[in-house]
Amino acid sequence: MSVSIGKKKKATRTWRSLIWAIPTALLVLLVLVLGAQWLRALPAGASFLRDYPGASALPGGAPVGFPAWLGWQHFLNAFFLLLIIRTGWIVRSGRRPAAFWTRNNKGLIRTKNAPTRISLDLWLHLSLDALWVLNGIVFYVLIFATGQWLRIVPTSWDVFPNALSAALQYASLSWPTEDGWVNYNSLQVLSYFAVVFLAAPLAIITGLRMSGAWPKDATRLNKAYPIEIARAVHLPVMFFFAGFIVVHVTLVLATGALRNLNHMYAMQDGESWLGFWIFAASVVVMIIAWIAARPLLLRPVAQLTGTLSR
Amino acid sequence: MKIVVLMKQVPDTWGERTLDVTTGLSDRAATDAVIDEIGERALEVALTHRDAVKGTEVVVVSMGPASVTAALRKGLSMGADSAIHVLDDGLVGADAWLTSKVLAAVVARSGADVVVAGNESTDGRGGVVPAMIAEHLGLPHLSFLNDVTLTPGEVSGSRSTDTGTLQAHAALPAVISITEGLPEARFPNFKGIMTAKKKPLEVLSLADLGLAAASTVAGNGRSVVVSTVQRPARTAGTKTIDEGNAGVELAEFLVAGRLI
Repeated sequence: MSVSIGKKKKATRTWRSLIWAIPTALLVLLVLVLGAQWLRALPAGASFLRDYPGASALPGGAPVGFPAWLGWQHFLNAFFLLLIIRTGWIVRSGRRPAAFWTRNNKGLIRTKNAPTRISLDLWLHLSLDALWVLNGIVFYVLIFATGQWLRIVPTSWDVFPNALSAALQYASLSWPTEDGWVNYNSLQVLSYFAVVFLAAPLAIITGLRMSGAWPKDATRLNKAYPIEIARAVHLPVMFFFAGFIVVHVTLVLATGALRNLNHMYAMQDGESWLGFWIFAASVVVMIIAWIAARPLLLRPVAQLTGTLSR
Repeated sequence: MKIVVLMKQVPDTWGERTLDVTTGLSDRAATDAVIDEIGERALEVALTHRDAVKGTEVVVVSMGPASVTAALRKGLSMGADSAIHVLDDGLVGADAWLTSKVLAAVVARSGADVVVAGNESTDGRGGVVPAMIAEHLGLPHLSFLNDVTLTPGEVSGSRSTDTGTLQAHAALPAVISITEGLPEARFPNFKGIMTAKKKPLEVLSLADLGLAAASTVAGNGRSVVVSTVQRPARTAGTKTIDEGNAGVELAEFLVAGRLI
């Protein structure tokens, strides 16, 4: 009985804080838009936008458009990220796992110490992590081998004023016209760079620290990099990823959806529906995987490399 | 051979379990309801025997509210052949006496050769119901078995005592209870889950069993919960910091608490 009362109280509090939060957020948004428009109307603002149109010029020799492997890499990355976030959240929720998995200490991966028993949820999380990291390594190698890295790594300092310019244009609701097939605006460059070269490595190194693969007995290493830091950072990195995904998908769909989807899914520039349909199919694959990732179907797969117990 | 397995649906021990302070009954809404693990192990004993000996029939039996159907279906999906659910409003808050009488009536009706039960549930922790059922039926009882051997006409196994292990055997029909020493239960597979929906699940009321909720056992009435009190919150312990006299302080603390 007391539990339900406590829940009700909490719910009322949430509602009350929402009553304040929504008008406040709307007000902040309004001030932001009006402020940005006022800034653009100023002579100084207008000349700033003329000097920095929102995108840095690419160095000569930068590739135009995207090759097919990039589309695959992008899809696989999105696919793994979705399931990694979901399984990570399940692991964190602390619910009773449907089963536990202990690695068979034979075959390819053999260790001196006995393997630890982990939940089936954590097994899936770690397995997806491994695939995601593998996908990421292939991505790193390919972008640096083909020059695609020039599109998402800033090469001159004017990326920062240009990013500010792009932010001002977004905030004033007069969005920058972009041409993602050739060059991203500087805000895009910075955010893609942050995801690929900062957030992803951070997620990996903090996740690795918490995993069973990390050496437990390396005293000096573990003193320099305590597990508490990894625990404190891993979850906020996930929130960063989730926030990025929301903003990214929203902007992709709001700034010429068909053209943008054609770029990343059909590897062509134009307004045809091909990219959209490939994207739709990829979403269907993600939904199927989301539904299929249940103990009944995971158990036989997990049993290939370990023994299951309760 | 017909094996009846007794299963109990209990609040999952994974979360925090609570009692409803007004009624004194366990708050079933507060946690997930699951088959008690020891009951699953009891079912595993029966299923293992059925895998080895053709012609064995396994019946899962449970008494409890409507939610027990889910537990019994799980038992069927693990491989039991049929299920019996005793469902009656008169059984709310039933004590061990009434529970054992009802379950004994079900066992008598089913004509079981062996009744397999867990040694004790994780919620009530009484550990007396299997013995009481055997008493009601006038059957031999082997309790707390760490291993079980079933042969036509006899059940045997070993049980731990304070000083060692004891080999025990009894002629069938008999009632046995098992400990966690026996292997954990199998997972239901896809085929099991699909066929579980078609297996018979019989729902019985007290009237079907020819019993009344008010019926007494051995001339005694039912025991009921008189009062329930929430466990008081833990208080912080005393910290002793050594400033040269910690030994004296510790001794005084122990004396004050009448611990020495």
